[in-house]
Amino acid sequence: MVFNSLAFVAFFAIVLAFMAMPFAWTTRKIILLVASYLFYMAWNPPFVILLWISTVVDWYAAQKLVHAEREVVRRAWMLLSVVANLGMLSYFKYGHFLLQNFSELVSVYGVHYVPPTWDIVLPVGISFYTFATLSYTLDVYLRRALPARRFLDYALFVTFFPHLVAGPIMRPTELVPQFEIERRATRRQLQFGLVLVLLGLFQKVVLADTFLSKAAEAVFDTGQPTGALDAWIGTLAFSGQIFCDFAGYSTIAIGVAMCLGFAMPDNFRFPYAAVGFSDFWRRWHITLSSWLRDYLYIPLGGNRHGPARTYLALMGTMLLGGLWHGASWTFVVWGGLHGIYLSVERFLRGRFGGFRPGPLALFALGLLTWMLVNVTWVFFRARTFGKAWDVLAGMVGANGDAAPILSSMLVATTLLIVTGIVAAHWWMRRRTLESALLQVPAVPLAMGMGLMTFLVIIAQGEGSAFIYFQF
Amino acid sequence: MHSSTSSSDLRAEPAATRPGFVRQTASDRPGVAQPVPERDIPDRPWGRIWFGALALALLLTAGWEWHWRAFGVTPSYRNSNGQWAQQRRRIDAGEGDALVFIGSSRTLFDMQLPVWKRVTGEQPIQLSLEGTSALPALEDLAADPAFHGRVMVGVTSSLFFSGFAYRGDAIRDWRKESPSARIGTWLSMHFVEPYVAFYDPDYALETVLARQPWPVRPGTHPHMSVRKLSLSGEDRNTYLWPKVAEDVPYRDLARRIWAQSWQLPPPPMLDTPAKVRAVADAQIARAVAAVKQLRAHGARVVFVRQPVAGPYLAFEDRVEPPALTWQVLLQRTGAPGISFADHAELQGFEPPEWSHLSRPDAERYTARLAPMVERAFAGEPSVQALAAQP
Repeated sequence: MVFNSLAFVAFFAIVLAFMAMPFAWTTRKIILLVASYLFYMAWNPPFVILLWISTVVDWYAAQKLVHAEREVVRRAWMLLSVVANLGMLSYFKYGHFLLQNFSELVSVYGVHYVPPTWDIVLPVGISFYTFATLSYTLDVYLRRALPARRFLDYALFVTFFPHLVAGPIMRPTELVPQFEIERRATRRQLQFGLVLVLLGLFQKVVLADTFLSKAAEAVFDTGQPTGALDAWIGTLAFSGQIFCDFAGYSTIAIGVAMCLGFAMPDNFRFPYAAVGFSDFWRRWHITLSSWLRDYLYIPLGGNRHGPARTYLALMGTMLLGGLWHGASWTFVVWGGLHGIYLSVERFLRGRFGGFRPGPLALFALGLLTWMLVNVTWVFFRARTFGKAWDVLAGMVGANGDAAPILSSMLVATTLLIVTGIVAAHWWMRRRTLESALLQVPAVPLAMGMGLMTFLVIIAQGEGSAFIYFQF
Repeated sequence: MHSSTSSSDLRAEPAATRPGFVRQTASDRPGVAQPVPERDIPDRPWGRIWFGALALALLLTAGWEWHWRAFGVTPSYRNSNGQWAQQRRRIDAGEGDALVFIGSSRTLFDMQLPVWKRVTGEQPIQLSLEGTSALPALEDLAADPAFHGRVMVGVTSSLFFSGFAYRGDAIRDWRKESPSARIGTWLSMHFVEPYVAFYDPDYALETVLARQPWPVRPGTHPHMSVRKLSLSGEDRNTYLWPKVAEDVPYRDLARRIWAQSWQLPPPPMLDTPAKVRAVADAQIARAVAAVKQLRAHGARVVFVRQPVAGPYLAFEDRVEPPALTWQVLLQRTGAPGISFADHAELQGFEPPEWSHLSRPDAERYTARLAPMVERAFAGEPSVQALAAQP
């Protein structure tokens, strides 16, 4: 079930009530585990089996490899976990994509092969929980962590419903210790957790769904050529939409966990105020970018084997990171562009290591970063390369005779909201939400929260899915 | 560095942290086990803040509700995909022999289920979808071997013969409806919809904002979306909102919105008479196939054209002349058909906005139509008779 639905409100109220009861800690953890399975089964009950497979395989793999004495045996158990998890992911997410590409490849050599119809539904959240469980066996294999002591704590780490389907992608060392010690949410945790839930809902239901999604859909889902203003507004709208949608989801997830007495890490840190692309990736989808860095970029050699190998590792990581988002070459190009940006930035830092920008230059570099990130969003949002090229052509004014698409209302609201988002990110650049809230007097805070609650209610969101659920 | 998932021997990684952020995350600690996150709670009087926020939200929401009630809106069940799925499931839950209404808004608004039950003793299942050709629903029933009842198919010429399906997603959604969606529909129908007037897509923030008098961007052609026209019951028994019949400016607005359909140029797929005929023929072929499939599992079909008047009737007769569409449909499917235009007892009904009957008229119309439809079903060829055909 999605967070912005009546079903989730009822589910969460029941879970909170159970967790507040005077049961033993183990009993409450079992309740939380069962609730998490029900949360997942509310989409498509049979897919819970995949979750169980992933959980059990990684539990046993970690247990076995930690007791193995020979390196080859340790590696075999680690590989079993990797193959099992990535095998499931590949089958459900990339099977059709691989067959299609194979068909196109062999057709170049004159072989006519039509792949069978792939009528398989992507299990929701599979990309997220396979990465979470993989980090468990990989951390044990890399001797960064010991296995969990109790299966219940480990199963709850995999399944804990706030992070299960769209992150933040948790590491076992972040969550398992929290299940080992009895905890009960304090009143302040409950109150502030609900503040985060409200903030996330406002971002998702009001900003992303009500205001920004329509302009993005009108531009990217039409077959007609796109003029300069429409191309830019559509792209900016998507830029704001995907931030509000995904950061909104993460904020709700963190708030829900806090209401239950658990801490989850930040997944976003005001990314549209990033200066440079390494800074952007330390602010955008932090739990994925750090996962890719720790389990892909560093094992590929990282920056330890000279510049050429570093650039290769960087490009490989970003291309695979792009593919993680979806089985389409447009996502690979999106990742590739980020890989090129990061490589160019790395090269320039090597050449101009002593450069220290002043405030104005810093802002200009920040704007340049944001504009280049917007260019990548075109490939992320467009369903085909044809549409992506059309929007990019529009952005540089090459579709001069294109008829206008967006209404004045969509242009005005998109500009207003996206400017607001970017300004807020710059103001918050070196702050946390919590430190900023300390500065706001109680009355304006109450009024702002009241207004946000009202807008969430009258927006009448109908439980529309979060964008990242499809990944 | 060897950390653990256990809290007792978790070690910090001070050398790996990077400066620059108020709160460190995994992005600042490369290549190490990540510690338990720390989340601070700002020292504010959150209890009092929440009290003030909820009081303000309650006040604003009450004002919003009052505003729309003053406009004439009353609580009504939401004509959602979930509600449609609820009715559709009745067929698979033991009502496979039921009478089912499919069609567009004319069949949805003009057929009054309580009246039909009073006249015939039978409670039909209402599966009509506004702005949508009956064909997707007809094909859905045809593909369901559990259905062996009777189908009354409403034919709105401009939708049926063009294949337009504004709500086609309802049929797709019910097939893959998740348990959480079902629970959400149930909760909404029991705790929100019967009590809250503004909970209607026509009064959602996005819709209300979009219909404000924004300056028109040169080169764009603003299009008015269809406004609220109906009220629905729990069983999808639906009737024309009395405001449409009684409030002259609102009725005129509804008429102006319909008029857009015949004032705008046709879409590229229908911009020549030949294309219109080809599309209509394709829809008729779909209907023939579906009717054949339905008869194969014992179901019977009757087509009905509901009343339409004024410029709307003129538009439909011009674009989809009955001689080239409606009559061909009946001839090729071999199914009985009832058109309001052909029967004296179905005359004298004036749809206020040309397309849908007022509630009192819909009740009288249903009472007159029900026996005619029953007779038509009785005259439908039986499965045995069809089987005997070459």
